[in-house]
Amino acid sequence: MRAPHAVRASPSATVRLTALSVLLFVACAHREGCTGDYCGTLVIATAGEPESLLPPVITSAVGLAVADQLFLKLADIGLSTNTVGDEDFQPQLAERWEWADSVTLVFHLDPRARWQDGRAVTALDVAFTFDAYNDPAVNSPFRSGVRAISAVTARDSLTAVFRFRKRYPEMFYDAVYHLRILPAHLLRAIPRDQWRSALFGRRPVGDGPYRFVSWKAGEQLELAADSAFFLGRPHLRRVIWRLTPDLQVAVTQLVADQADAIEVLGPPDNLKRAQGAPQLTLYPYRGATYAYLGFNLAANGDSSRPHPLFGERELRRALVMAVDRERLLQNVWGDAARVPPGPMPQLWWIWDPETRMLPSDTAQASRLLTRLGWRDSDHDGVRKRQGNRLAFRIMVPTTSAVRRQYARLLQEQYRSLGAEVELDEVEPSVFAQRAAAGRFDALLISWNADPTPTSSIAQTWTREGIGRSNYLRYVSPAFDGLVERASAGAGRRAATQRTWRQAIELLNQDAPAVFLFAPQSVAAVHRRVADVTIRPDSWLALLRTWRIPADRLIDRDRVER
Amino acid sequence: MTAWLVRRVAAAIAIVWAVVTVTFVLVHVAPGTPFLPPAETPVDPAVLERLRSQFGLDRPLSEQYVRYLREIARGNLGESFALHRPVADALAEALPNTLTLAGAALCIEFVLGLALGVYQAARARRFGDVALGNATLFLYSVPTFWLGLLLLVVFGQWLRWFPVGGVVDVVTHESLPWAGRVADRLWHLALPAGTLGLVGAAATARFERAAMLEVLGQDYVRTARAKGLPERRVVLGHALRNALLPFVTLFGLAFPFLLTGAVLVETVFAWPGMGRLAAEAIFRRDYPVVTAAAMLASGMVVLGSLLADLLYAAADPRIRTSAA
Repeated sequence: MRAPHAVRASPSATVRLTALSVLLFVACAHREGCTGDYCGTLVIATAGEPESLLPPVITSAVGLAVADQLFLKLADIGLSTNTVGDEDFQPQLAERWEWADSVTLVFHLDPRARWQDGRAVTALDVAFTFDAYNDPAVNSPFRSGVRAISAVTARDSLTAVFRFRKRYPEMFYDAVYHLRILPAHLLRAIPRDQWRSALFGRRPVGDGPYRFVSWKAGEQLELAADSAFFLGRPHLRRVIWRLTPDLQVAVTQLVADQADAIEVLGPPDNLKRAQGAPQLTLYPYRGATYAYLGFNLAANGDSSRPHPLFGERELRRALVMAVDRERLLQNVWGDAARVPPGPMPQLWWIWDPETRMLPSDTAQASRLLTRLGWRDSDHDGVRKRQGNRLAFRIMVPTTSAVRRQYARLLQEQYRSLGAEVELDEVEPSVFAQRAAAGRFDALLISWNADPTPTSSIAQTWTREGIGRSNYLRYVSPAFDGLVERASAGAGRRAATQRTWRQAIELLNQDAPAVFLFAPQSVAAVHRRVADVTIRPDSWLALLRTWRIPADRLIDRDRVER
Repeated sequence: MTAWLVRRVAAAIAIVWAVVTVTFVLVHVAPGTPFLPPAETPVDPAVLERLRSQFGLDRPLSEQYVRYLREIARGNLGESFALHRPVADALAEALPNTLTLAGAALCIEFVLGLALGVYQAARARRFGDVALGNATLFLYSVPTFWLGLLLLVVFGQWLRWFPVGGVVDVVTHESLPWAGRVADRLWHLALPAGTLGLVGAAATARFERAAMLEVLGQDYVRTARAKGLPERRVVLGHALRNALLPFVTLFGLAFPFLLTGAVLVETVFAWPGMGRLAAEAIFRRDYPVVTAAAMLASGMVVLGSLLADLLYAAADPRIRTSAA
């Protein structure tokens, strides 16, 4: 006898329940799938999306990271990231190279190299690649990186010859670092001015350790290991990028165990979140970013006149000394960043903590301001001189929480010195537009730099950079001369480093900026992944050697596509 | 009726044209510059200049506008500055995702909203009504992205019942049988559609409660009760049918809300739809994508409104008569 209120499932409810159970079972069922040493699947969470996978037109970091798995360079930089000479470079497409004379470099290609459609990689591909990177119709952002190379020719099918316009320490770096060799037979027919939107950029055929599988915009991009790769079969069978709109979403996917790896965790909050996820191992490495508060040396919006405040060197020096950089760093970053000894990221080999900087000394800064005639005679908290207030605005992008935090702390530090600071928080494209046009007093900017200081410093701090990325319009012939000497010097590395140090110290004395932070990059990778080696300038450069041991495989490693 | 329909379609085209024009002008005169890389890397101004020239941005605005309209008339929406692909391709990939999300959210909004509204009206001023009234007021008041984040953290990150983003499981989806793929999509749809649907359902419930209360006080309902019909039949069979008419209007209004709400929800849940595409395009100053997305969204809103009018006319003979 059934209790009066007992619930009895109707036949239709039973059918629905069964159907749902079957559906769920089918959805959740795991197949036996792959076993062994070459089964790993790595899901990488990333903010942003490549615009194309055709190397000469890529500008995004994620695009280059993917392209580096598909396309080989002739040789690649070593773990030391030393860009001078060729000793620290590793062979890739070229099995060896030699200098025919001081400005002629000869590469001998590995005869085993093949495009993934079966064709051999030849020296003609190398010559074609150089021509494409150098073609204004392609409009490659890397074009300026190869301008010191006058010609690339094919001596025979496996020998490519590079001729340079002059001799300098980073010739080898310029010859190999930016040029990902392209398949001439697949690209020759595509008009160069259409490369930006060429279908090849969305379905590339490369010669690297991985081959292209699929790309769904805004969702995912998948590569599969090329088991016949001539330098050795990659251990990870599938590499999938989860494409997310921003870093926070990417970190959330990682922490929730729905992704295996991320390039950079970013601000300290994300670091804490990742540290709380037991499945993750963190890998700190030298970061490629540095940030500073830059003073516009020209008048706001009028580059023909000096800035009424920042045109004066001594005032800038006072404003640099007024900032307690270490305290700001501790407040915002903790131990995750360092105060840079000049305009440089931790990545650069010229990083030298012994480099002299202006001291952080509020009392000295205050005395200097008073000596310059800036006094708060009416006690309203703001110094004045000849009726002009010590007041300026700091421009900061809305998208950077760290820099906005820094801006507020700087505002407070300057307030206590008697300087009135207002903040202009603007969105990134407006920030970039105003920075390029010189429409700002001071800005809080950060740069992602190449492994070499040579091009970056020239573009952002010398006369050559005016109209390019030298937004502060800092010009010092003495500094330019030292940079030129350091870049062109054919001497020993120690001597070059001394020259760089002299240049940076000179710039520090001129105080065009307050160098605030250079973060250490921290990648997070699932702990089942072994042999993780991260090269600081390109975190996935050695992905081919990462592996997941057979006894650590999880369900997503075994799934057959 | 045909003349009315022709007038409405003509008005719809005019509205879409106006939206395109205003968007085109606004995005071009707004501060900011396109073609910049996402990270702050030094850029060669010569590269930017060549790109500006290649895309005709160095021409007068009026010339750009005329050229844009001419291309639209030919069915060409242009090439995206940032995505390096035709705008039509990008929209064609994003639109189904947004329609799926909006459709699922619409179902949740109307089914749940209707059920709650009817329940509240039937128990007006009793505990259930008051409690649900407060709950719906809370949901109606919270920003959509905040509710999304809350659901994401609780059900995605902490409890791990649902995925924290994306449309499908990027590892397993392709290997699943069709039923598994459907289940996988529904599983991924649950949180974003739930977020949009819950906020909409709160508004719908409040609307439906008021409509039902008005109907429940009318003479024919009193008559039905006097005839001894069960309360369930009075409410669902007699009152609800008449309280549904204003609901049709609500359908037309819900569509723009869903599209605007989708912008935030798609970003929070990494859902590759129109909203996310448009939002990213705005930040990158990707003019062709912004303008095309505005055109498409306004077209959908106008279409939704037109559909609502047609449904209203079908449901209410008085409208049909006056329209004719």
